[in-house]
Amino acid sequence: MKSTTTSIGLGVLGIVFLIVAVLYALGLLQFLASTSGPHYKHAILFTVLAVASFVAANFARPKGTIYVTDRPGR
Amino acid sequence: MGVLQGATELFPVSSLGHAVLIPSLLHWSFKQSDPSFLPFLVLLHLGTATALLILYRHEWLAIIRGFFVAAVRGQIQNDTERLAMLLLVGTIPAAVLGVFLETRIRTLFASPYEAAGLLVMNGVLMLGFEVLRRRAERRGAADGSSHAEQEERFAQAERISFRAAALVGACQALAFLPGISRSGVTIGGGLLAGLRHQEAARFSFLLATPVILGAGVVEVPQLFSSGVPVGEYAAGAVLSGIAAYASARFLLRYFRSGRLDPYGIYCIAAGLISLALLHFSL
Repeated sequence: MKSTTTSIGLGVLGIVFLIVAVLYALGLLQFLASTSGPHYKHAILFTVLAVASFVAANFARPKGTIYVTDRPGR
Repeated sequence: MGVLQGATELFPVSSLGHAVLIPSLLHWSFKQSDPSFLPFLVLLHLGTATALLILYRHEWLAIIRGFFVAAVRGQIQNDTERLAMLLLVGTIPAAVLGVFLETRIRTLFASPYEAAGLLVMNGVLMLGFEVLRRRAERRGAADGSSHAEQEERFAQAERISFRAAALVGACQALAFLPGISRSGVTIGGGLLAGLRHQEAARFSFLLATPVILGAGVVEVPQLFSSGVPVGEYAAGAVLSGIAAYASARFLLRYFRSGRLDPYGIYCIAAGLISLALLHFSL
């Protein structure tokens, strides 16, 4: 499922996750949190989700015509 | 408690279920509602995670390297890189469910009665996984082939599909219920996904490491609250780590030819006996 649109979508999702992580870390977001104040556990989770989204975006990015079987190390 | 937690964390018998049941059955004096109990559990988990990191130290170095190489390249080119991405995909569902639901679920099912009942259910699940596995073995087996020969037909952890990895990872969330074993459901999930027993155990232990470590590390600040006997707790963590290391080595050897059945039977028996003991207040 390689396409520029998917890649951009996943990149944008990653940025959203990063913003949510910062908001949780600063205690500005309390959604689904049991106490008030900063939520570092939630912030770490959303940072991981952001990293996963950026990785997925890079995987979804079309990389031109490369024949994997011809690459060294295969 | 350290030895108990370390040993039961990796055996498919639910560490949390035993942590709820055994102190209650043996009338141990500490209270789980005590503010110093959480830091204690945190240290025990860090001990277990450290043991797993030591056991798989070479593999983890390769996985971390493989993750960064594949992430930057945007393409998977070998088994280690694939395993790194599978672990990422498998960890995310457990992390999401853990952060948002763990406390709520644990509070709902914190009593010894519920832990004993869920331990019985865990046993039934283990036996169920093996029934389904035997059915899969019969479908493709040549007559007269041994269990070891049949195992060869199943895959290594690196060959599991990404969808299956996500499902196995999500199964870890069931372990927030005291009595349901994290390693049990992930090994069972791995079996259903077509892995060999030993590979399912390996994938389960690799999958458990970031979750246990992450859950422990984020709670570290709790250790510095006043009144926590850090030295005593650290001794518990070391014991937990030693027990976890020995358990993992034993289980990896056991699953070369063994199945989940004995653990399933143990869980059903332990759960039923615990229910009886609790009911009659013995």
